[in-house]
Amino acid sequence: MFSGGSPARAVNLRPEPWRWGHPRVLVEHPDEAAGLAIASALRFAGYAVAVCPGPPGRGQCPLTGPEGCAPAHDADLVVCCLGYEREAGQEVLRALRTRHPNIPVLVEAPSDMDADLRALLDGCDHLPAPSTPEQILAAVQSLLGQASEESPSGA
Amino acid sequence: MRSPFHSEPEAFRFLLLVILAMLVIVLAAVLGSTWLALAVLAIIVGALAMRITQLRMRRSLEVPLKSAPPHLGPAAERRVLVVANDTLSEQGLLSEVAMLASAPGTHVLLLAPALISPGVRVAGAVDRPLDQARVRLAAALDRVGHDLDVEGEVSAADPLEAIENAFATFAADEVIVCTRRERARNGLEPRLAGLVRERFAVPVRHLVLEPGCSAQEPDKDTEARYHNEAVTRKGRQVVLETLAVVGILASLLMSMIALIRSDQRRTEVAPPTAVLRPTGAAASISEASLAAAKVVDVSVIPEYKLGPDGKKHDAFTKTEFAVKVGQPLKLRIDNTDTQPHSLTSPEVNVNITAMPGTHTYTLIVTQPGKYQWFCVYPCDSGANGWAMKHPGYMSGYITAS
Repeated sequence: MFSGGSPARAVNLRPEPWRWGHPRVLVEHPDEAAGLAIASALRFAGYAVAVCPGPPGRGQCPLTGPEGCAPAHDADLVVCCLGYEREAGQEVLRALRTRHPNIPVLVEAPSDMDADLRALLDGCDHLPAPSTPEQILAAVQSLLGQASEESPSGA
Repeated sequence: MRSPFHSEPEAFRFLLLVILAMLVIVLAAVLGSTWLALAVLAIIVGALAMRITQLRMRRSLEVPLKSAPPHLGPAAERRVLVVANDTLSEQGLLSEVAMLASAPGTHVLLLAPALISPGVRVAGAVDRPLDQARVRLAAALDRVGHDLDVEGEVSAADPLEAIENAFATFAADEVIVCTRRERARNGLEPRLAGLVRERFAVPVRHLVLEPGCSAQEPDKDTEARYHNEAVTRKGRQVVLETLAVVGILASLLMSMIALIRSDQRRTEVAPPTAVLRPTGAAASISEASLAAAKVVDVSVIPEYKLGPDGKKHDAFTKTEFAVKVGQPLKLRIDNTDTQPHSLTSPEVNVNITAMPGTHTYTLIVTQPGKYQWFCVYPCDSGANGWAMKHPGYMSGYITAS
């Protein structure tokens, strides 16, 4: 993040998750085009965004490993569209809930969830599975509104 | 020149670490031995290699994250970042910029990253590429016309970094990367568009501009080819880096081997050994006294010792022998020459012929005194047998007490 002063070259270290101030929304979406569409809608509503395709086919999401995920750590809200029929998607959500319990998570989930999935999603806000970027934006706006009332510093 | 460090404290930390490492090595060499210093050096080099590997692994673990700043201003407003350098004079680019800027509420930033090759960057000679970029940008802005909302910026940073820096002050809604069709030495890389697309969550367009053609967007296959070419180059770079590391390790290893050898030579010289075959008097020694005798190691080495004439002469590594009268002295002589040599002293009936190879001989002197010995075989032919007449070379003394 650049906070005044000389903007150039101060930040070169990677990962450099957030070069922009709050509010920040991390969008996890396996489909690149859909993720970018959500990000675009959020940008025009005044949010800094980051888009992550989630854990790759092989390999591990840093969020579930010892390294942790700096973008998730510094986000004000996470939009999770990873698809929870996948083991990896569930793992990511579990890690997100346990490691960052204070960050609100908005999950795009099918309505016909089984009990396990329902338990996993307990405490998160969720949207029906295919949601439009506009629906997601509306949900984010209502959530971050609540969040900023609870912790004014987060805004 | 751009510092490879991210901050001043980081540079100081590095400097302190280097000084500390040097101090430890020097201390180890002074207080311990060369070997201890080498071991410390090996540990430090190993730790450094591990740290670098760790950092690289961490980098490879990074998630393919794209980010973008919030949109600025009313929803209808657009900010377009156009990145170009060698294509700045192309009419296709200028008309694209003019078209974008003439739309209401659209701001265009024309970013010209200076084309600085890594070698030039290391040498710090960045002024000329910077001036070149400035001139090109000024000419392009003149041709677009100053009544449009187009700004220009020149950056000395690496193109991708320049774009990241531009994003810090200019919340672009779209990025247009303008390059030639093929990668050229003095131009922006076509792969840059793909890199920007991987890093930013905004639409990225790649415009290919060639003289006499209208601006084109490369198809998916071409972009894939750019990507593959970049990967191949990266692979080649990794191979080169690996070779460099192997070279450094090999030179370390070789210097270690050299050190070991010189150490061995020194021990050879310090307790010198001689090789002689017992004859005559030796036959009369009892087994018991033989067993009690100590063994002296000697080598005969052609062109071993530097003489006062500046030439190397054949020599025994030890030429002075002290014996007790009547007591046998065992000599293990390693004759490294292809011909036999001898340790001969007619006064005391000593004549030991050292055959090539390592053999053990017994030296016995039956009367006290200091006797000169010499080699009876013609040797030191490079200097007309000079060494045969000079003690310390192929001649010497036996002192019996």
